[in-house]
Amino acid sequence: MIQVRNLHKYYGEQQLFKGIDLDVQKGEVVVLIGPSGSGKSTFLRCINGLEYFQEGEIHVDGIELHSIERVKPGRKDLEAIRSIRLKVGMVFQQFNLFPHMTVLGNIIEAPVKVLGLGKNPAVENALALLKRINLEGKVNCYPGELSGGEQQRVAIARALAMKPEAMLFDEPTSSLDPETVGEVLSVIKGLVDEGMTTLIATHEMGFAREAADRVVVFDKGDIVETGPPEEIFTSPKVERTKTFLGRILKI
Amino acid sequence: MKNSFRIFSLLIGLVLFLSWTVSSQPRETSIDKIKKRGYLLWGSDAEGGAPYVFPSPEDPSRLIGFEVDLAEAVAKELGVKARQSQNAWDSLIPALKRGDFDIVLNGVEITPQRNEEVLFSVPYYIYTEQLVVRKEETAIRDINDLKGKKAGTLSGAVAQDILEGLGGVDVRIYSGQVEPYEDLAFGRLDAVLLDLPIAAYYAKPNPKLKYAGPPAGEGFYGIAIRKEDTGLKKTVDEILGKLLRSGELKKIHEKWGLWNETQEKLFLTVEESAGPVIIEESKKAPLHTFFPMLLKGAGITIFISVVSMALAVTLGLVLTIARLYGRPPFSSTATAYIEIYRGTPLLIQLYILYYGLPNIGISLSPVAAAFLGLGMNYAAYEAEIYRAGIMSVPKGQMEAASSLGMTQPQALRRIILPQALRIATPGITNDFIALFKDSSLVSVIAMVELTKTYSILAATTLRFFELGLIVAFLYFAMSYPLSLLARRLENKLKGPGR
Ligand SMILES: Nc1ncnc2c1ncn2[C@@H]1O[C@H](COP(=O)(O)OP(=O)(O)O)[C@@H](O)[C@H]1O
Ligand SMILES: [Mg+2]
Repeated sequence: MIQVRNLHKYYGEQQLFKGIDLDVQKGEVVVLIGPSGSGKSTFLRCINGLEYFQEGEIHVDGIELHSIERVKPGRKDLEAIRSIRLKVGMVFQQFNLFPHMTVLGNIIEAPVKVLGLGKNPAVENALALLKRINLEGKVNCYPGELSGGEQQRVAIARALAMKPEAMLFDEPTSSLDPETVGEVLSVIKGLVDEGMTTLIATHEMGFAREAADRVVVFDKGDIVETGPPEEIFTSPKVERTKTFLGRILKI
Repeated sequence: MKNSFRIFSLLIGLVLFLSWTVSSQPRETSIDKIKKRGYLLWGSDAEGGAPYVFPSPEDPSRLIGFEVDLAEAVAKELGVKARQSQNAWDSLIPALKRGDFDIVLNGVEITPQRNEEVLFSVPYYIYTEQLVVRKEETAIRDINDLKGKKAGTLSGAVAQDILEGLGGVDVRIYSGQVEPYEDLAFGRLDAVLLDLPIAAYYAKPNPKLKYAGPPAGEGFYGIAIRKEDTGLKKTVDEILGKLLRSGELKKIHEKWGLWNETQEKLFLTVEESAGPVIIEESKKAPLHTFFPMLLKGAGITIFISVVSMALAVTLGLVLTIARLYGRPPFSSTATAYIEIYRGTPLLIQLYILYYGLPNIGISLSPVAAAFLGLGMNYAAYEAEIYRAGIMSVPKGQMEAASSLGMTQPQALRRIILPQALRIATPGITNDFIALFKDSSLVSVIAMVELTKTYSILAATTLRFFELGLIVAFLYFAMSYPLSLLARRLENKLKGPGR
């Protein structure tokens, strides 16, 4: 469903990706791990068109996005990026809920304005999603009145309201208090169990072990190793994976 | 889309309104036109004061002065009424040229330079220049003693040319005729040279001041008429000749104590007449009689401020969007606009709008120029406030909106701007308060708002203090509610809920 080919990415003069590839099948759950600054976020953001890349291409369900050399993308690039965004939902580390809208407003905004869904079906759909994440009681609350875990769950519901075919999560639990991490992970686990194609960058190794079909290890802008979780966690082949796991599992 | 359409139609409405105000002012001046209109529009500056044109100390809503009487006499001969049009003295001639009124009758000296600009009627008064010094002054006996001294005069008056022509004199230019004498009495000036009628009214009664030498340098006051209105000039000349022969003109001068030997050269008949009008202290108008005029001025201030601010917040938003999100020609134009408007004085912008644009065929009414000037200037500041607001919305908001498939305009309108405006509101409210006070600058383009009303009234009654307090209070009463509003908005922003 998602193919990344020969991806090159520069930040100014600094080269981050020197031609990396990744294929994600429909229904597959891929967990990205690796040290901070290794390029996991940038990788996910490239797929969602939030970052431009200088060489290579990305295919999502038949939509082709080619390298964008210019600072501003052309009309065709923008079309491709928008079509990809309609198929792929994204959840951010900082939630990025709209603070001036209620929980309900956050969820129905895009379905109504982007998909042109009627207000009533949009609200109905939103209420069903809220029920699923156990937040029916907070429909009319503003994001500022919610805990971090609640906000992140609303952010997930907001992305799901667009009925995406795949989801990208960029460290969804990294800004949460430890006690609310579980409630967010269980919502994601629920999605995964339903067969949602998922790419998730996380430091939650327990979750990776449990939910991942495949683990991809990033280091310094490179994919150093990829394989099923039991293999990566028990017998990593590459030295850099060992070092990283050694560091993170000690904590 | 709907919103930008609303902004667009607002702008269109504005343009229509402007063209309406532009076309609604008198333009062609022929005698027929004046007669059809039913009144003669004569330009003068009531702030100039006695004995020319000034608010009656007994009833400040009524203008009196020897030129008021003369204008009425001329109008009567034309078979119409006279209507005064208020305009700063410095800019009476440009305002006449752009068609704000039919004639200028306000102590305008006939000079070769002015003769290039406008037509002059036959003279209606022969003025002389009178040097005034402090009572204890002994060193200055005539203008030849002025070298190295500080001498005050009125901007644009012939006396200014005389003083500057002397060389070595530190010439201080004033825009009102009260202030130079005040400064002289306070010791800020060594001498004041002004037309005799002014000296007679403002210096002679002041015990701290005295005349230095006899009046010098004769010149003529004439009625200024636009170059193309030759027919009107001929008629005005005939009327002045008639008033002269009938003795009516002389009567007017005598009524105001302006009679002297010099005028013999103008007038053929000399008759006894009543003495000059003297304003008695006991006849001072009670303060409340000033209120109708001051309140009217305050109303105009509010009107100008509100309309200007509406223009400023709308245009400011358009500028910010163009600057931040527009493609090159638009973004750079918006940036240039903002920098230029913020980097030049509002006063200059107003002068260019009002007196400069007629040179390229665009003649705005005072109201239109006032709120275009203020609105376009403040738009630059509002644009920067909006920009700060937009910049302070976290980057993640735009990213979240984009990742949901919203287009950039959608994200701007629904997600970014509502948050940015909320942040910008206190700043905008503060600017509104500043604009309230800056609105006093439009008095230079013939708008008689609160500050101008004050200076006109104060200049003639010399009640700077009492009237000043009242006017300050009026401004405060208008801006304080806004301050309260700004503070409430700020608190609301700080608070946790929304
Ligand atoms: N906007 C940017 N400008 C310059 N460098 C950036 C920018 N964003 C990320 N980087 C750099 O790219 C590298 C990868 O960052 P990131 O994708 O956020 O890694 P990760 O998500 O794995 O922590 C880091 O070295 C970071 O400093
Ligand atoms: Mg990251």
